[in-house]
Amino acid sequence: MISISGLRHRMVDIPDLTVDARHLAVIGPNGSGKTTFLSVCSGIEEPRTGTVRILGRPPSAVRTGWVGEFPDRTLLFSLVYDEIASTPRFRNRSCQETDERVRAAAALVGVSHLLDAKVSALSGGEKALVALAAAISGDPEVLILDETDSNLDARTADRIQRVVRESAASHVLWCTQSMDSAAHADHVIFMDGGVVRYCGTPDEVFSRLEDTCFYPTMWRIRR
Amino acid sequence: MRVDLEDILFSRGSFSLRGSGIFGEGVHLVSGPVGSGKSTLALLLAGILLPRGGAVRRHGISSTLLLLQSPEYHITSPTVAGEVESWGLDPADLLVQADLAGRGDDDPLRLSRGELKRLILACMISRDPDLMMLDEPFTSLDCVARQEACRMIEDRRGGITIVFSHERAILPRVDAIWEMEDGVLKALGRVPHAIPGWRFAPQYLTYALEQGACPENIRLQDAREALCRIRG
Repeated sequence: MISISGLRHRMVDIPDLTVDARHLAVIGPNGSGKTTFLSVCSGIEEPRTGTVRILGRPPSAVRTGWVGEFPDRTLLFSLVYDEIASTPRFRNRSCQETDERVRAAAALVGVSHLLDAKVSALSGGEKALVALAAAISGDPEVLILDETDSNLDARTADRIQRVVRESAASHVLWCTQSMDSAAHADHVIFMDGGVVRYCGTPDEVFSRLEDTCFYPTMWRIRR
Repeated sequence: MRVDLEDILFSRGSFSLRGSGIFGEGVHLVSGPVGSGKSTLALLLAGILLPRGGAVRRHGISSTLLLLQSPEYHITSPTVAGEVESWGLDPADLLVQADLAGRGDDDPLRLSRGELKRLILACMISRDPDLMMLDEPFTSLDCVARQEACRMIEDRRGGITIVFSHERAILPRVDAIWEMEDGVLKALGRVPHAIPGWRFAPQYLTYALEQGACPENIRLQDAREALCRIRG
């Protein structure tokens, strides 16, 4: 359960929002406050006013895995293994547990063959997969992906979607400019000008957006 | 006006790129997965990288511009108006065209990514180069900004425009399609004949083909119109 009340932070203004869905897609124009919203939900930023509760706790008390839009700007270590291991290491896990988590996360994401590689030698898509493996190695309760798909081709984006769908996280929040992938979420939030304009199932939200380009191409062509 | 690729070969580390073909006047789309070599091909066509084998020959081309994937790398001035002037253009007209009127004194790095891409794209189109290449012009843009970028590309009169993109929802009307995979460039030919053989086609286009429709171009509206024709 994600519940928000009286949230005012930078441009985001959400008086009251409760969502009890596993896969939550956040959509909306550039500059509508999606990234700010995700930063508050991930605990990266503390809201100026208002409260955010995820699984009944403040975001800073929730184990969160975060993947951004430009993994090459957020990857910290020079070796793939160290990057994925950073999450358990920062949480002071033992060497053995760290190693097990790294190998399990790499296998899940499909990057086991890259563990010994240098991060600088990876393609953009591979970097995104490594960032996802690093997020998953912390056994997150909540996974947050901020337009991770925007610099990825369809094949890599589908792979990330599949991993995220199969992960054990209680909530997955992701913002995307691909309405075709948002159409597969359990719940969709459409933000505009810092406020939640529409919130509901994909059917409910996209029916309000039918006259705009924020409408899945496949729905447009099938109906 | 055309660019000929004559059996070019380029390699860096374990990656190698090869391709042949002729880019004539009109809009070309080079599609392919991330990391397949699209940006490297753009740099080779621009003459910024030189091939190890073969040749890139430009015929009748006196000006070339390349829009980089990250528009931030184009910035050379602390103000938006100064940035426009650095292209030898008049800010008053251009900022209206780019829908950024009144923003002349802003720091270009404070523009949103969509605004910045629009600014640089408008500057490039106003310079009207013979060869214009756009490396992933649609990433990070919302659908409104992507439609606007498509309109600017379609409105260009003359010259060679090459769009390198993995975009699969909002695309401009194009004249020819190319595929790039694992460093190998393949010419699929002119649209609409190239469409059925296009492996990286958007889902809506593949769906229309499966239904037996023959879209005249690659945009969503082309697929819808083609479906309307067979559905009546």
